[in-house]
Amino acid sequence: MIEGVDYNQRFFEDVEPGDELPRVDDDITYRRVIMNPATTWDYFPGHHDPEYARAQGQPTIYVNTMHVLGFADRVVSEWAGPRSFLVRRKVSTLKSVYAGDTMVGTGHVVGTRREEQDGYIRHLVDLELTVGNQHGDRCAAVTATVALPARQETGRSRLWW
Amino acid sequence: MSELGSTGYDIAVGTYEDALSMVGYTTPVRFGEIPVNIAMVRYFAAMVRDANAGYWDEDFAAREWGGCISPPAMLMTWVIPIEWKPGGALPMPLLTARVPLPGTTFVNASNETEFFRPIRVGDILNVTEELVEVSAQKRTAIGSGHFVTTCSTFRRHDGTLVARMTNVLFRFDPEAA
Repeated sequence: MIEGVDYNQRFFEDVEPGDELPRVDDDITYRRVIMNPATTWDYFPGHHDPEYARAQGQPTIYVNTMHVLGFADRVVSEWAGPRSFLVRRKVSTLKSVYAGDTMVGTGHVVGTRREEQDGYIRHLVDLELTVGNQHGDRCAAVTATVALPARQETGRSRLWW
Repeated sequence: MSELGSTGYDIAVGTYEDALSMVGYTTPVRFGEIPVNIAMVRYFAAMVRDANAGYWDEDFAAREWGGCISPPAMLMTWVIPIEWKPGGALPMPLLTARVPLPGTTFVNASNETEFFRPIRVGDILNVTEELVEVSAQKRTAIGSGHFVTTCSTFRRHDGTLVARMTNVLFRFDPEAA
């Protein structure tokens, strides 16, 4: 066990439609907007050059898609736990998140289902999330499906081994 | 808009008809140039502030996934070409940048990804990209342009399908303020 690392796991049986995901707030400084091309190799200038961003009609540099995806995935995984597997997610951009903003992640459970795949049962949870900012604007609408471990496994869950 | 300068990518310029004639085109398989690696995984997890044990704890990750895994959001990173190469070979831009259209710049509109297998440290991914659709000209709050839909299929070096991604990008001319 490493101190500070997240090992808390949620199980399929403990999830109900309507359950809320814990809200996550994250301050997006210039430094972190610049970190994002460095980590993702996305050197589109709107993510590191304020002058370019302004010429695009934006007030300043803004986080890239992979950062928004990574933030949404973090909101999901902090709720679901490290043994969960992201099966699908869709992110629609409504407004950019700018350097100086606070990203706010919220979400809830839409439904749960069991689905057979390759002879095994997957325990799936459908989620709806919003990535917003400190002004209360919706910046991205997210739907996601995550596979959780079950307390009562009905088949081998690790299809990839 | 001369101050707009380059997008940093060499984007193809052309008419809507040029773009339409490219719909259905599928790229040859392109291989990632670096393996999924722990340095980039940890740097990304630090940027997003994600404490997921699959990225940080080798023992946990080995038991659970067979090794440390890539954050799902890094999928595209693993096939982005290296900017410069000894000898001067030029990187091949992503398909979206090769669709000829009039717009001088772009922003991403939506991204839908389905994951079939975890992506692990040591994997080398490859991708094929298909141009699925180019919309007629549309006017939005930020300017007029076309929505470009591409579908990318990601496989592991052993051929296993790991993910499929549909991305919609808005290629536009910024509205004069």
